[in-house]
Amino acid sequence: MSTKHSKAAEKFLENKEQAAWHDQTLWMVRAKRDKMSKSVPEWEMLRDMASAIKLYSNSHLDSLLQEFEKNAIANGAHVYWAKDAEEYCSIVHNILQNHNVKHFIKSKSMLAEECGLNEYLQEKGIEVVESDLGERIIQLMHQRPSHIVMPAIHIKKEQIGELFVKEMGTEPGNNDQTYLTHAARKNLRNKFIQAEAAMTGANFAVASTGECVVCTNEGNADMGTSQPKLQITAFGMEKIVPDRDALGVFTRLLARSGTGQPITTYTSHYRKPRHGGELHIIIVDNGRSRILADKEHVKTLNCLRCGACMNTCPVYRRSGGYSYTYFIPGPIGINLGMLKAPLHYYDNVSACSLCHSCQNVCPAKVDLADQIYRWRQQLNSLGVASKSKKVMSGGMQFLMERPGLFNFALKSAPIANSLPHFMMYNGLNDWGKEHDMPKFAKESFNEMWKKNKVK
Amino acid sequence: MKVGLFIPCYINAVYPQVGVASYKLLKSLGVDVDYPLDQTCCGQPMANAGFEDESKELAKRFDRLFEKYDYIVGPSASCVVFVRDNYGNLLKEEKHRCASEGKIYDICEFIHDIVKPTSLKASFPHKVSIQNSCHGVRLMHLSAPSELNIPYYNKLRDLLSLVKGIEVVEPERPDECCGFGGMFGVEEHAISGQMGRDKVKRHMDTGAEYIVGADSSCLMHQSGIISREKLPIKTIHIVEILAAGL
Amino acid sequence: MSSREDILQSIRRNTGIRYEKPDYAPLEKEAMTYSDKLAQFQDIMKLMGGRAVILQDGEDVNEVIRKQYPEAKRIATCVDEMQCGGKSYKITCATFHPDDVEKSGDLNGTDLAILQGRVGVCENGAVWIQQDVEQRAIYFISEELVILLDRKNLVNNMHEAYKKIDTGEYGYGVFISGPSKTADIEQALVMGAHGACDVTVIVL
Repeated sequence: MSTKHSKAAEKFLENKEQAAWHDQTLWMVRAKRDKMSKSVPEWEMLRDMASAIKLYSNSHLDSLLQEFEKNAIANGAHVYWAKDAEEYCSIVHNILQNHNVKHFIKSKSMLAEECGLNEYLQEKGIEVVESDLGERIIQLMHQRPSHIVMPAIHIKKEQIGELFVKEMGTEPGNNDQTYLTHAARKNLRNKFIQAEAAMTGANFAVASTGECVVCTNEGNADMGTSQPKLQITAFGMEKIVPDRDALGVFTRLLARSGTGQPITTYTSHYRKPRHGGELHIIIVDNGRSRILADKEHVKTLNCLRCGACMNTCPVYRRSGGYSYTYFIPGPIGINLGMLKAPLHYYDNVSACSLCHSCQNVCPAKVDLADQIYRWRQQLNSLGVASKSKKVMSGGMQFLMERPGLFNFALKSAPIANSLPHFMMYNGLNDWGKEHDMPKFAKESFNEMWKKNKVK
Repeated sequence: MKVGLFIPCYINAVYPQVGVASYKLLKSLGVDVDYPLDQTCCGQPMANAGFEDESKELAKRFDRLFEKYDYIVGPSASCVVFVRDNYGNLLKEEKHRCASEGKIYDICEFIHDIVKPTSLKASFPHKVSIQNSCHGVRLMHLSAPSELNIPYYNKLRDLLSLVKGIEVVEPERPDECCGFGGMFGVEEHAISGQMGRDKVKRHMDTGAEYIVGADSSCLMHQSGIISREKLPIKTIHIVEILAAGL
Repeated sequence: MSSREDILQSIRRNTGIRYEKPDYAPLEKEAMTYSDKLAQFQDIMKLMGGRAVILQDGEDVNEVIRKQYPEAKRIATCVDEMQCGGKSYKITCATFHPDDVEKSGDLNGTDLAILQGRVGVCENGAVWIQQDVEQRAIYFISEELVILLDRKNLVNNMHEAYKKIDTGEYGYGVFISGPSKTADIEQALVMGAHGACDVTVIVL
């Protein structure tokens, strides 16, 4: 009884030191988040409001997106609609081709990851440079992000030092974080200046103004969009918010929840193209409108992609981002993967002890654990429920529906206590790999009650 | 007020002394308590594993078994909250409304909120570390979850403060999951085991002699770890302390 | 049919319950305020890795800037003169205006840039910069930043801030809260990822 997740998790835990570091480091981020949230007396009201705004905006996407489009066009932007990943990638490619772009600089965008944009463009001969430090490291290592906010959290500085010697000519053996960060600053500075186009995602798109809002700590989105005059910004359509007052709510929650800061260093508002430049905005569906019809899972569209659910998840912290088969890990990733393609991503549904901590940290109150519980109910009808789990559960059901049999089992259970060790801790008994089995009492409560021993 | 004592299956089989202590404790507080025979399981293990349908018959049985009581009280927050939060949905196709969900209480919650004793006879001169269980904290609201910005409260600590000679502490990461999670512990045994070892270590770091909780499932998981790793700490259900000396 | 129509139709077909737009007022009324905004702003700027300096009576703003950044040689200013509290503050310590350069890349190597802040937020140290020059790259490419802020424009929180900001004729604005930073290598905090390595807000 195992899933791709459980096997990968077991492997992750083999490196005890690294696994403990991963757990401790992400817990530190959770602790910083707690400190921030507790310094805001109206915190729970803020979360309620964020959830209410998202429920409103995601149930008025038709009117809000059109309002956004109208305003963005009036601001001088070009607006595109992409049904799926393919269309989104080809729109970006067409814009770049029409402007003869060879060097293209990007700030972090989970949408681009979702749609495989970099691979698409590279196949067509366009050099894509990621400008967020973590994303750049991952890109140079030909890896995937293991966390949506801290993409390189799984990589040690020694590995990064080695990489930078090769890629940026740093001193061998100097793995100091400040030294390496400033080396990347210098190296990427030239890339910014050489680029012919820059791209960003968007944390929020404001219907009433037609502007896109991007939050970064590094300033990379702004370094990019203030060099070349061609800017592309793309967002998944659930990023829409009605107005700037809504931004007042979300900007108070986002960084406090995600990294435990009062706000990101830069909160940039892109409303018009630069003088003599162009601003192209792509609104992407890629399965989102379908989720609207799914009552049990529609609240995943509330997600701000802050990563707080990963930092608090006891399973994520101890298994790492790569143990999940969907590109977004952790509680939100389990759910988004199932919404994308259940038969492809059901292996992640086991990665949850139903502790419900994720629901409590989520700034937009996505019911993450409840949704995972509901997905588990569907695995059987999808035909992918674990067979041995089904047998175990079915066996329990058979027993529990028959009190006579249950009582008989209770009476004979103590015999299990004296079974030879190898029978209790064999390969089939995964629980026994970690623990000693509980010892059955000589007499069950039922038995004691019947014998009038409970007084 | 007639109370039906709900003894979850694994308590019945593994920890009958928890059932006995529950009965004695309620009795000593003047509660009219009875144990309806032929109880089995509430159905949570099957449902959490993804087989809610297999829990339906059990829910029906449960509902019938406790029909005549004003309250259902059980020494397991997780099982109790499963009945409270899920039976309504499991039994929605039944003609009559599920009666259990509205009258079932975890024993700590029941004593704290309904019986409200101001003193107990119990004495327990030991240092104990509270196991704030996930379902107890986040679904049953036995204490303020560490994630929320709400004033601190802890019903377990309140009750333990009535015990003479006891010293009560909580571990670092006071309500992080211990990793039991029903079939999660089998399917994701490596993670579950690591979570359990981490949890026990944090309890030990407090210098406590006992890990005390309202959920025998968390305690069973941790005591399996303690026994395997031969660690110098013990587990105990909170009712065993509250009923000490009865 | 266009993708636009397809998507809108799919949204309409799939939308279930339409939730009401919530009333922000009760939350905005509850939101944090500070009895001493100036002191709070100074504290929070420190926490964000920068600093806020209050210009004292009789002090010359240029001298304060020079003293804070004695090494700076290439100094750009986006503000020639700032009026506040009935006084006029002339910036004379700068060596050039950012729009003097031909292209934005030429701003690389700027040691210090002096900007005008429009709104300062006490809960998080964010200062609103409304684009006021052609080359907004200067806000990010400069090694160090000085932001001039009228103390009358300190607000308590983001709710208040969003009621005051404007993106102006250029259609761009940014909240900047302290120096650029990253923790992408083993979660160690490093100042100066891509933007300014040091930020001083001078409160007038």
